[in-house]
Amino acid sequence: MIQKRPFFITFLAPAVLTAVILAAAIFEVLQYSVREFIPGSLNVGGFTFANFAALNKPIYWWVLADTFFISLLTAVFSLLASYPVAYALVRAKRDWVRSALVSLSITPLFTGEIVRTFSWMLTLGTDGFINSVLRKLGVIDMPIQLMYTRFGVVVALVQFSMPVMIILLATAIAHVDRDCERAAANLGASPSAVFWRVTLPLTLPGILSGIVVVFAWTMSAFSTPQLIGGGKILMISNLAYLQGFSVLNLPFAATLSLIALVCALGSLALMKGVTGRIERRLAVN
Amino acid sequence: MTETAIIHPSKETGSAVDIVRVRKDFGSAVGVADVSLTIGKGEFVTLLGPSGCGKSTLLGMIAGFVTPTAGKIVVDGTDITDLEPYRRDIGMVFQSYALFPHMNVHDNIAFGLKMRRLPAAEVEKEVARAIAMMKLEGFEARRVRQLSGGQQQRVALARAIVIRPKVLLLDEPLSALDKNLRAQMQVELSELHRKTGLTTIFVTHDQGEALSLSDRIVVMNKGAVQQVAAPIELYRQPANGFVASFIGEINALPPGRCELKDGTASLVLPGVGPLVFPAVPASGFAPGRQVRAFLRPEHVRPVSAGAAGPNVVTGKVEAHIYQGSHTITRVVVEGIGLVETRVTGADIVASAPVGAPLALAFDLSEAVLLDAAA
Amino acid sequence: MRSQKIGSIAFWSLVVALLTYMTLPTIVVLMTSVNPTEILAFPPQGVSFDWYVKAVTYPDFQIAFKNGLIVTACASTLALIVGSAFAWLIHHYEFRGRGLLEGVLWSPLIIPHFTLGFGFLLLGGAFGVQQGYVMIVLAHMVLVMPFVTRAVHVSLANIDPALARAAANLGASPFQVLTRVTLPLVVPGMAGGWLIAAVLSLTEFTASLYVTGSRTQTLPVAMYNYIREYADPTVSAISALLIIATTLIMLVADRTIGLRRVLAIDTH
Repeated sequence: MIQKRPFFITFLAPAVLTAVILAAAIFEVLQYSVREFIPGSLNVGGFTFANFAALNKPIYWWVLADTFFISLLTAVFSLLASYPVAYALVRAKRDWVRSALVSLSITPLFTGEIVRTFSWMLTLGTDGFINSVLRKLGVIDMPIQLMYTRFGVVVALVQFSMPVMIILLATAIAHVDRDCERAAANLGASPSAVFWRVTLPLTLPGILSGIVVVFAWTMSAFSTPQLIGGGKILMISNLAYLQGFSVLNLPFAATLSLIALVCALGSLALMKGVTGRIERRLAVN
Repeated sequence: MTETAIIHPSKETGSAVDIVRVRKDFGSAVGVADVSLTIGKGEFVTLLGPSGCGKSTLLGMIAGFVTPTAGKIVVDGTDITDLEPYRRDIGMVFQSYALFPHMNVHDNIAFGLKMRRLPAAEVEKEVARAIAMMKLEGFEARRVRQLSGGQQQRVALARAIVIRPKVLLLDEPLSALDKNLRAQMQVELSELHRKTGLTTIFVTHDQGEALSLSDRIVVMNKGAVQQVAAPIELYRQPANGFVASFIGEINALPPGRCELKDGTASLVLPGVGPLVFPAVPASGFAPGRQVRAFLRPEHVRPVSAGAAGPNVVTGKVEAHIYQGSHTITRVVVEGIGLVETRVTGADIVASAPVGAPLALAFDLSEAVLLDAAA
Repeated sequence: MRSQKIGSIAFWSLVVALLTYMTLPTIVVLMTSVNPTEILAFPPQGVSFDWYVKAVTYPDFQIAFKNGLIVTACASTLALIVGSAFAWLIHHYEFRGRGLLEGVLWSPLIIPHFTLGFGFLLLGGAFGVQQGYVMIVLAHMVLVMPFVTRAVHVSLANIDPALARAAANLGASPFQVLTRVTLPLVVPGMAGGWLIAAVLSLTEFTASLYVTGSRTQTLPVAMYNYIREYADPTVSAISALLIIATTLIMLVADRTIGLRRVLAIDTH
């Protein structure tokens, strides 16, 4: 007999098991979010929507709004900072320049959140690198406050998100047909006109997916606002951690974690819809 | 007629493009080796050669995408060697067409005019004219990816000619089309050239396209120009062995010695004997000279076995290549080697089966004589 | 031509400035790690490896490093096995529920790590194995598996499907095709995916903060706890060691299997 699907069950079983475990973990969060909080106890009570109702307080709305705001700022600045690097990475004439640019822009991705956040603490601190250098140079007399500010958090978050943004933009730029740019130049477009009228519009799908990916990513950032924000800047992740580990209100922490998940999924769905439409309009690729 | 309005004075005297000892090195490799070429106003010139022969590099240098290592390029009397591509006013149709995928047909065609900051009304007028000329009415709002290959080709042409370029460059524009469409577009290209009178430089590796379209053909190989000639001259009087074998099919006979006795010219092939010319050849012939004769398959004729004559040799049929309207038959002749003959129809496949002997008559009136050393 | 030159210089200056911004924190960490004084002073007052000695002899870091290695080895290897099988499955078969399965298994790329960590914390609680190795390994495995799956999937997609048919035509059974043809061709992808998974697991922090306890904490969690208590360059030294280690691993990965291919950054 011909075995129609060799290895099907063998290879499927572990994947399904993993998926079930993952789904169970997420289900636990969902389950806790609709349970009653019993103050002073880690046990939870019966079914309730009270945790979701409790969200409707100005302070939580502010945290949510701040999370959105910081994520948006990060996405936009990350795009502005990454595009030139991605462009250089793809278009550099020399091989070693391209390799160096890839290494320099990708390796930060693998050093981990804590190392990167700690590095920024050393850089932004009152006695940190920036303040020390500026004081040595006589630019400032008193240290400027960079830690525990929204500015400091965004500066660090932009640097974190740049590797991913650069990867997405570099892929988009590499797919631009060089003949289209040559054709534009041939038709009288100056180098800047070629960029604004041809290269940039053709990389629009990459730009959009970069913005949304970084936005969704930053929405779930934890250690940077935790350490650089130092409690002064609260994002939804920090609030959830606070509720779970300081207030010990696990149901409310679960509710906030769930909200964060929904926001991440929502931005991704948005991206699929928007880029899908743009790609169809452009009919690129 | 509005169609004829986009016109440059046709076939004016004076040169449109002067290429003066242009050279391009890629590292230690030579891309284009000291090419000089003058192209007249309104002329249709083809750069022909196998891939890697330097024709596209030369075109790139004219368009400004490739910087020459040495030499200069002059268009309409102005040295443009160091001019940026976007200041050159040279139209170009790319091999891939390079139509802007994020713009519709109208905006693609209007692009060059907008770059020249023409008033909007002027832009519309010119675009409409180009659209009419390329028979693209009704497609203005289409996305370029919704067009067929032939339509894309016409948009690319419209986009290139609407800016009224000093020179039109065509980089293998027919290679992406299928065979039938290619023939159709050849006719349209030819018509466009007649209507606009634009100086046109066409790059191709297809000798058929080159022969049918060009006023003159520049045959290139390994970065160097092999011959510049009108199509008929190129076919009948190739300057060297490369041109002879690159343009059409040709039989290369082994080297022999020219002899002239009592007004009769002949070529003595060692081991074969003399082949007699009907008249003294006008070029390449000198008594005592060592030459190679090149003979097109249509000038080699099968004859009946018993036929005698000065230019009849007998060989063994090796293979038949049936091509529909005609058949190429390969015959191995002792002392000469492989000889191809071209006959109409397919009767020869049956009359001279593979392995059978076949007598061939050489018509030396069309033979090309080249120096044996070359 | 001159304006073009000025534009080019301006562009490359901008690129260098941006790269400086990207690498500045790393440079600062490396500088402070060899600074002999406790106060984070710039420029460094000299060169000393005291902080490195303190870092590698600090018991919390030693335990955490050992924990991290156990977790990373288990999680990335499990992810390699399950992820490779899954990649092979979705490359070869269409089946009912495939979309759902893919959705779930790719989702850790999108799900916030703190949501996932919290979920595994609660799940561990439900089974009474809270903050034990099992839950930590499972959480890490789920988090890094998409990277292995992606790397193997890209490798599989690059194999000419005719090769498997040719092997079958020459008499190879499905098992022989898998082990003699497919496997040797995806080994680079698997190795690359495994390395990326290992590095990500070793440096993962947010989810680990939730699922680890004081005895099972991994290195990043131990570092976080240290930072909150003390402000001396010991963590700089640990960070420097991690930076050097991950950079070396990534260099090796790039040299041997082409990181760009595994990450699917095709610049040409």
